[in-house]
Amino acid sequence: MKERKLFQYFILTHWLFFAGTTLLDKLIPDVYPLWVGADFYTLFVKLFASLGMTNPILATAALSAVSIVEAASFVCFLLSLTLLIKSKKKSAEQWFSRGILLSLVLFSFFSIGDQVFGDRFTLLEHGIFWCILLVSWLVFLYFGNTDNHKIGLAPPRVLRTTIIAGIVLTVITSISLFQFSSNTWHTKNTSVAGVKISDSMYKFDFPFLGDKYTLENTLKNFKEDHPELRVNYIYTGPSELNTKKKTHMLLYIFTEKVKQ
Amino acid sequence: MTETTHKREKDLIRYFIIIYWSLFWLLNVVDKIIGGAHLFFVGRDRFAQVERFFDSIGLENPIYANIALVITASLEIFALVFFLGALYHLITKNDGANRSWFLVGICFTLATFTFFSIGDQVFGDHFELLEHGLFWFIALLSWVVYTSIDRIPFPSQVSITTKQRNVFLAVTILLATVTSASIFYHNHTSFIQRTQAVAVEQVTEDTYKIEFPFLAGSKAFENSLEKFLGENPTLQIDNIYTAPKPLRLGKSDGLIIYIQVTAKK
Repeated sequence: MKERKLFQYFILTHWLFFAGTTLLDKLIPDVYPLWVGADFYTLFVKLFASLGMTNPILATAALSAVSIVEAASFVCFLLSLTLLIKSKKKSAEQWFSRGILLSLVLFSFFSIGDQVFGDRFTLLEHGIFWCILLVSWLVFLYFGNTDNHKIGLAPPRVLRTTIIAGIVLTVITSISLFQFSSNTWHTKNTSVAGVKISDSMYKFDFPFLGDKYTLENTLKNFKEDHPELRVNYIYTGPSELNTKKKTHMLLYIFTEKVKQ
Repeated sequence: MTETTHKREKDLIRYFIIIYWSLFWLLNVVDKIIGGAHLFFVGRDRFAQVERFFDSIGLENPIYANIALVITASLEIFALVFFLGALYHLITKNDGANRSWFLVGICFTLATFTFFSIGDQVFGDHFELLEHGLFWFIALLSWVVYTSIDRIPFPSQVSITTKQRNVFLAVTILLATVTSASIFYHNHTSFIQRTQAVAVEQVTEDTYKIEFPFLAGSKAFENSLEKFLGENPTLQIDNIYTAPKPLRLGKSDGLIIYIQVTAKK
């Protein structure tokens, strides 16, 4: 296979999945088993409400318009991939260009919205995707037009060594991943041991796997271990107090002695 | 400048690109092998991150996270070994082969980031989607630069005069000395803030404020509260309120907390 065609497949597959999953996110508007996604409906309702347009019909109509364009671009990418597989190069390029054009329109529309709603971070996000789309289109259509370089991974000895090295490394990494998982899995539900800071203050350093159940178990165990104390107040240590990425979450419990 | 020099410069850019991606994947693989935070390596607890993602879609069993991590690791490892192969062929001046090996490395890289992007959409993490989209783009662009560099005309170099060289060295040394002295002085005077208790300011009868310096860690927080409680034995903490970012002055305010107290019964 030629390099150019290989890259066309990679670019097309990426945007096909991107458009497909984005569309799926609109079809599945809430959290379900096997799908979380982003809640675009709530986001749109809040954004329109910030403009004083509290009627949900406006947010619903806008979201619907967005999903129409997303559906159209998904179909363009799908057609393009089908035609590329069938070696209908020119038609595949045309449908890809249409898909990209629709996506560019969509991201331009999003960027206007971001400015109107004052969301600068999302503006950056949409601007970056807009730029990636444009460059993807240029690479898909024009890059490697004059190249006839064929992929050759000779000599076979080096290729064999590389594949063996890859397999060995994968096995080592997999063993390490499974070991780490079995060594840390228990921290998901095990209660965290508190460190006494002062007479009425305890600190809990939560593991990365810790969640709401870990907190509940921790509180239950703390009450059992300290029947003489009453929890007055729980304070979540803000991220500024963390040692960068090493700390997951710090929790402080303030107590007072129970009167006998 | 001769063509040979330009060839050397262009190869240098190829070396930078291959070494960048080799190190990128090497460190990602090391991060997976090490697992957890250790001395000299913190990395990212990928198991916890991926397990939480799967848990959020109702797949709590750790086997799903493990399988996803193994698939990810294998993609990353094969990207790494093919980049290392490309590096080997670049060193041995085998131009056709290094291009093909680099291509396979880039293909594994693109596949990895597409795989991650699908996951980001399923798990609803749009920040990670942006991050992985950007890396996908960087990989694509790396390939474009790597293969097109021969067609890019490099400007002819003009030799540096002795005067220019001396000015460059004098100004650089002066600026580096002043900056380093300032950094060491700041370290000498401020490192203590990392753990030192911070002064408490009374705002109302039962509200106190603590403004932490940027260096303050959890020890400074604990020491400050301990000191406050020690100095006010008749009071007990009823509530702590962390001033949210909109109430802080741009980037000049660090962590600010308000302590609400009541008299001990």
